[in-house]
Amino acid sequence: MNQNTMKQKLNSFYLLACLVAPLVTVGCSSSGPPEFRLDMVKMVSEETPTAQEYQQEIADVLGALFGTPDEPFALPETGLNAIQLQMAAGSAWSDEKGYNHGLYRKHCVHCHGITGDGRGPTARFLNPYPRDYRPGVYKFKSTYNADRPTDEDLHRVLVNGVPGTAMPSFSLLPSSEVESLVEYVKYLSIRGQMETALTNFVFDELGEEEAEDEDGEPLLDGDGEPVLRRIPFNPAEDAEQQEVVADLLAEIVEGWDAASEKIILPEEDQIPAEERSDEEIAASVDKGRELFYGTRANCIKCHGPTALGDGQQDDFDNWSKAHKKFLSDVAESHKGEPTEDSQEFAASRDEVAAMIYPLRNAIPRNLRQGIYRGGRRRLDIFWRISAGIPGTPMPATGSAAPGGKGTISEAEIWNIVDYVLSLPYESPSRPLKALPANTEGIVN
Amino acid sequence: MSIPKLTTQSVQATAKFCAAWAIVAMLFSAANAADWGTLKGRFVVEGDLGEAAAVNANKDPEFCGKHNLMDEAIIVGEEGALANVFVYLYLKSSKTVEIHPDLEKVDTEPVLLDNKGCRFEPHALVLRVGQSLEISNSDPVAHNTNLTPTKNPGFNQIIPNDSPLAKTFEKRESYPSPAACNIHPWMKAYVLIRDNPYMTVTAADGSFEIANLPAGKHEFIFWHESKGNMKNMTFSGGKTSRKGRAKLTIPAGDTLDLGDIKVSPSVLGK
Repeated sequence: MNQNTMKQKLNSFYLLACLVAPLVTVGCSSSGPPEFRLDMVKMVSEETPTAQEYQQEIADVLGALFGTPDEPFALPETGLNAIQLQMAAGSAWSDEKGYNHGLYRKHCVHCHGITGDGRGPTARFLNPYPRDYRPGVYKFKSTYNADRPTDEDLHRVLVNGVPGTAMPSFSLLPSSEVESLVEYVKYLSIRGQMETALTNFVFDELGEEEAEDEDGEPLLDGDGEPVLRRIPFNPAEDAEQQEVVADLLAEIVEGWDAASEKIILPEEDQIPAEERSDEEIAASVDKGRELFYGTRANCIKCHGPTALGDGQQDDFDNWSKAHKKFLSDVAESHKGEPTEDSQEFAASRDEVAAMIYPLRNAIPRNLRQGIYRGGRRRLDIFWRISAGIPGTPMPATGSAAPGGKGTISEAEIWNIVDYVLSLPYESPSRPLKALPANTEGIVN
Repeated sequence: MSIPKLTTQSVQATAKFCAAWAIVAMLFSAANAADWGTLKGRFVVEGDLGEAAAVNANKDPEFCGKHNLMDEAIIVGEEGALANVFVYLYLKSSKTVEIHPDLEKVDTEPVLLDNKGCRFEPHALVLRVGQSLEISNSDPVAHNTNLTPTKNPGFNQIIPNDSPLAKTFEKRESYPSPAACNIHPWMKAYVLIRDNPYMTVTAADGSFEIANLPAGKHEFIFWHESKGNMKNMTFSGGKTSRKGRAKLTIPAGDTLDLGDIKVSPSVLGK
């Protein structure tokens, strides 16, 4: 769909109708129906400090666009299926015909939380922490690094679980229930991405401005200082803001709609034959091993010379990096002179910092265990190597977009797939080469 | 709205009039340098920030270790000159700016970002929407470049020695986007992607100049990687806001010189 028709659709009656819908309150009281929580790290961060009035207004707009955990709502332009969302949302119960409702709260909420922020009651005790859906970034998928996952990708993760983590398989649920949950996860992601986009918009473009009189001259107070006026965030009454909200939502939805066109399809003639002789497999494994230790694919840097995941271990994934940055800003702010900005947010920053779970490094996978979080099919491993793992330090070696060129060829990626799949069975005593493998250019 | 019916005659007349007017307008704008102006200034750190820390090059130490790498977050030159400050025109998302005819066309030459000596060269750069960013690797060790913009899709790609990776972007970013190499965690660079040419990075002597700005009142952003928006920073004739912005009037056919902009260590989080 092109931008214009999208925009037209979004500027439709629905958007207006929902933006002027009754306001929803924000907060997290212990009683009453569950509510979506704002991302407080973002709200009080140094990058986008958001005053409480704006926080309330952002929550109101999100409430109008997405409803509540009990009564989810999705604009038709999001493409989300309202019936599936209804099945997944609300309290868990079964009707007379045996249909289950409230699937998300029955199966997911303990770890992933009401808001999908990966902060359910058990999250603190898990390693790895449960996924935070709000950035819309997923690790195990068939699409290019920067792209959203397809429905099939999310479906596969739900059915298979994520081996080596606390994420179980939901293969015993009827397919219709899994599909409802996939829809609900997408809904939580789109809501979360929208929250970030709105917060950025409010910081970048709203705030206080110098008031002007009818002639466009600045208004001055008694001391000759300009009078400041807060620009409210209220798209229901501001056509320009309404258009911005519509555009932001359209951009996010476009990303999800485009996912099915961004699937990495291996070239047929590069895929190794089904039936290969032992010699052919061994030759491919050797090539893969060469690449593993070489500078072009360079797997060794993180997965280590032993492939035990003992290379670069002090990096973080993007979810933790945001928290790490926030914690270090807060720690630093206690050292310097308080500023206007730090005074306004100091108390809430300390409070939010105390709620962040202990940071953990992104540890590269131990490839000798034979446990593959994103699936053990050859195609799954191919996708991991080609697209990298979004949100983590694992880079892409294949093309970054349809029609592009990768660092290594597809045939070479398949060689690495063969080597990786052979690693759990490779004798640890197999002599390693002198490392690093490419020291020639270094000595000069 | 009613549309007046046009006779053939009136269409011709209108066409002639339009053509004539277009020529007049062209002559006028080409001749009139008075519609455009320049902004310049120089960033100077007031106070001692101490020596930049040495990087512990513990990844690929055989190669990276011999480059005496220093932390590049804050680069201060002689007389406190502050390099790598981004200065650019602030625009609301719904707004665009008139672009000087000389700058309208996006440069077909790519902007280069090299992985060289276990650091990014340059450390801070500006890129226009549609312009190609070419990332290369001149080192005998592997590098990945992990760019995380906000509006545009990011990427995280291994950079081969033989063929650089070319990237273009479609959307205007509000702030510079960080680029990192995950293999060598000290490696950082910042790329500002905008859909207009009114942006720059201060040079080693702390100076900057943005030429051919449309004359009139504009808001500018001052941004440095250590603390982002350079808040509450005073300069002759004004100060930046809590968001690190300042409203400045660009004189027609002339230059607005902000002189030495004094940067206190607290603006840089020191």
